[in-house]
Amino acid sequence: MNDHTSNTPYGRLAAELATSVTEVPGVAFLRPGLTDRLRTALPRSAPHSAGTAAGVRLTRPDGEGPWHVEIHVVALRQARTVDVARGVRDAVGHRLGVLAPGEPRPRVTVTVTGLL
Amino acid sequence: MTDPIEPPHGTSTHEDDDELLPCGRLLSRAWADWEDQARDDRSRDGEAGDAHPRNCPHCREAVRGLDELESAVRGLRTETAAADSYDSEPLTRRIMDVVRLELRPGRPLPLGEPAEDLWIMEAVAARTLRSAAETVPGVRAGSCRLRHVHEDGTVEVRLDIHAPLGVPLPDFTERVREQVRRVADRALGMPTAAVHLRVTDLLPPTADDDREGRTP
Repeated sequence: MNDHTSNTPYGRLAAELATSVTEVPGVAFLRPGLTDRLRTALPRSAPHSAGTAAGVRLTRPDGEGPWHVEIHVVALRQARTVDVARGVRDAVGHRLGVLAPGEPRPRVTVTVTGLL
Repeated sequence: MTDPIEPPHGTSTHEDDDELLPCGRLLSRAWADWEDQARDDRSRDGEAGDAHPRNCPHCREAVRGLDELESAVRGLRTETAAADSYDSEPLTRRIMDVVRLELRPGRPLPLGEPAEDLWIMEAVAARTLRSAAETVPGVRAGSCRLRHVHEDGTVEVRLDIHAPLGVPLPDFTERVREQVRRVADRALGMPTAAVHLRVTDLLPPTADDDREGRTP
């Protein structure tokens, strides 16, 4: 299995997908990332690095076939959880279609790991 | 199409992933002690209690991340307190809840339709359903397990509750069951096959029970 996370040619793609996920209504943030996010509130912390692919895992199980995108998010309580997850799935599918046109339809797995 | 019952890759499927520390205490116990100590420090200003969590290097290491996080959350509160009137104490508690649930997530459970490949971690769903049960006046929710996932993607809920003395239990438990089912569907979108309740104790009603349930 090829794992295309950060420091790989697909790391940038994962970061793009991460950005599109955080724009979905009802998404609080990606996991992991809570600790990093909180550290930015500390006076001496480094600035938050934009485009982090935390919570996004991009793999191509058989090397050539469709991508498998795994997203881990913390959602907001006021939104219906399954609707948030659907929004994430659709946003990732749409974004991947724009960024990598002509690719086979990806498998997108969304897991809600917390509610805030 | 993806097998709807197959959980996503890379997530824990352990029945109980609590960790035994070298000192013989469970990780969950170390966290619980940390929470108790934090609360006691605020309310009693450091009265002597069980000294082990403070002196044991293994327990201290196990809660070090929580200490750092609490500091960060307090910094966040200070920064944002002047900016708006948002009630930050519940925010702190909710953030700490998320952290705890991230550390012990349980197994992934299906959300939505069987083939959708959408999941929620067991501990997150269980927390929501316990809160749902406690909106029924007089209920104190205990252990909540979501164990049996059917082929159609529905989940069986097993919830322990304390009920108030002097109420007809069949009607009472049906109200709790209905509330849990409703929240699982409307708030989470997690289809339930059954909600099994076990009344583990009967308690005298308190003043709180006269209100319209507890805050979810």
